[in-house]
Amino acid sequence: MNGLMLVARREIVTQVRTKAFVIGLLITAALVAAISFAPKLFGGPESYALGTVDSQRLPLEAAAPDAEFTWRAFPDEAAAKQAVLAGDVDAVLVGGTKVLTDGKIDDQLGVLLQSVNREAKLGAAGVSIPPLQVVSVGADTRYQAARTGLATVLVIVLFMMLIGQATMVAMGVVEEKGSRIVEILLATLRPWQLLGGKIVGLGVVGLINLVTILAVGLAASMASGISADFPPGMPGLVAGVLVWFVLGYAFFATLAGAFASLVSRQEEVNSVLTPLIMVIMVSYFVSFFATRDPTGTLATVTSYVPPFSSMIMPVRMAAAEVPLWQAGLSMAAMVVAVLAALAFGAKVYQRAVLRTGARVKLGDVVRAR
Amino acid sequence: MLEISELHKRFAGGPDAPDGKLALDGIGFAVRPGEMYGFVGANGAGKTTTMRIVMGVLQADSGSVSWQGRPLGYEDRRRFGYMPEERGLYQKMRVAEQIEYFGRLHGMSAAVAKKATEDLMERLGVAERRNDPVQALSLGNQQRVQLAVALVHDPEVLVLDEPFSGLDPIAVDALATALQERCAGGVPVIFSSHQLELVERLCDSVGIVSAGRMVATGTVADLRSAGNDTLRVVVRNPAQGWADGLPGTVTVSGDRHILRTTYGDDQEILRRAVKAGHVEHFGHERPTLTEIFKEAVA
Ligand SMILES: Nc1ncnc2c1ncn2[C@@H]1O[C@H](COP(=O)(O)OP(=O)(O)OP(=O)(O)O)[C@@H](O)[C@H]1O
Ligand SMILES: [Mg+2]
Repeated sequence: MNGLMLVARREIVTQVRTKAFVIGLLITAALVAAISFAPKLFGGPESYALGTVDSQRLPLEAAAPDAEFTWRAFPDEAAAKQAVLAGDVDAVLVGGTKVLTDGKIDDQLGVLLQSVNREAKLGAAGVSIPPLQVVSVGADTRYQAARTGLATVLVIVLFMMLIGQATMVAMGVVEEKGSRIVEILLATLRPWQLLGGKIVGLGVVGLINLVTILAVGLAASMASGISADFPPGMPGLVAGVLVWFVLGYAFFATLAGAFASLVSRQEEVNSVLTPLIMVIMVSYFVSFFATRDPTGTLATVTSYVPPFSSMIMPVRMAAAEVPLWQAGLSMAAMVVAVLAALAFGAKVYQRAVLRTGARVKLGDVVRAR
Repeated sequence: MLEISELHKRFAGGPDAPDGKLALDGIGFAVRPGEMYGFVGANGAGKTTTMRIVMGVLQADSGSVSWQGRPLGYEDRRRFGYMPEERGLYQKMRVAEQIEYFGRLHGMSAAVAKKATEDLMERLGVAERRNDPVQALSLGNQQRVQLAVALVHDPEVLVLDEPFSGLDPIAVDALATALQERCAGGVPVIFSSHQLELVERLCDSVGIVSAGRMVATGTVADLRSAGNDTLRVVVRNPAQGWADGLPGTVTVSGDRHILRTTYGDDQEILRRAVKAGHVEHFGHERPTLTEIFKEAVA
């Protein structure tokens, strides 16, 4: 097995064995499952309990197929009043002419009752009204709510994973530099193998996390039934998310490792990572904005600019339909950025990682021959 | 043969030392297969810097290191064993796994690395700690693990920076034996140390470095015979002031006066000693490595 793979394997084994990893994985899985069930618990379809006194039920189901109606018949108005006041029923239709409610009637229910009643009476009089046909001249918005929801979850997941894994790479680099173990490692490995192995290993750990999140999320959505609202092309979206994560991670983790090689103590990691964290934060905020306005200028433009694109483009793709050529163009730009980051990061790392002691200045490293 | 020639290294200086620090100023020596080479010198003399350059951890400004007649390359170094001055291990990794990991990094197959790890842990007395994380071990035991990491892949050359510091006498013997065995197997061994008696006892050759230059190098026997002999004279109950005007130092212990000198005319000294009292001892002595060292770096 070559050096890079040995290093990667050690990283994976070390991480996967820790309690933190196992517990973290369980918690995220539980969280994602909870999110997938939440719409069912809170939103859910509207349901109304209705009653009748001396009257026919109105065909409300036909007019509002998403809502649920339960009907009860009451012997007289007094019994109906009591049930309304007790909150057992939302409204009672009396003699086909009057509706009893407790205070103001629910807006939607009110409109529904009035229009269905009108239709029923007209129908009885032999007048039939063809329903208005709705034709959308804009984009297909049937899946908009689901898309926005998906994109929001995606933003949070990508943000946490990128920050988390990039920080892990940085801490690992400093651990090796601070403990000087790097000196014996580099007597048998080339610097790019050591840094590369770490990035690959922790990337695999990140992917294990991400795949778990996606799998649990999809399984839970199917179980809860909200997957019925998912837009078409989910497999493509999932694949896209994985590829974008790999690209974004490769970019940020490489730079995180390189910057971390400038310092020798864990306490200094935060200060060297600040610029990177800022970039990830900016991507995060813009992506969050993009979940609401995926076709706006800001989201569109930034979705081409690496490294922001690594978060914004997948979010745009989840929140709205994105032409394939746009995704491809953005991805190509990101790949170029990743290659540049790898070249730059390997150079900085190689020059800085053996210079223990005081913090090494990035400028010195870059300028050195 | 491992040949180190004309190494120069200047470290970049800070604001207070714009010229930087000249750490190596033409270091050179050679170590033959099966030779144990002791590398000694005062603190800051340049031993660690030299070893780091040999191991490719640091780049020399000029000079070269060659192994078996060819410039030393990355692939050669992978077959070297190295123990750096600043010890470093993965603190949370288990002892056996760590040694094995380094075996594999040096290109051993999983099975071979496992076997070598078992053998070494047994020999260095850390076998019962195999499943403990390194951080749970005492410093001396961590050092044994560090040594195992340097030895696991049956290296062609050993470069050890102060391998004996911090070890108890038992561990010193175990390590000495382990190194002697490797030497007997034809491996050149270089180690640095401040324990000169140990160096004198173990090493075939010694190099003394001072301020980045080699001030003496050769076999221990050659160095001792090349050094200025000391004349040691012991006189019992001599007359007061018998040695006045003679060079050297006189120490008094009880009724014995001991004169040490490198003064050339020994016959003149003998005459005066005989006149002064009862001469118990008169003889030339080879300098110890410690004396050679002190003279060389003075
Ligand atoms: N990274 C560095 N930056 C600047 N100067 C350095 C660096 N490393 C070593 N030096 C200087 O180079 C000189 C040689 O140091 P080196 O560590 O090789 O000495 P040494 O012989 O190993 O000493 P010791 O016996 O104390 O271990 C010293 O003056 C030291 O201050
Ligand atoms: Mg040293």
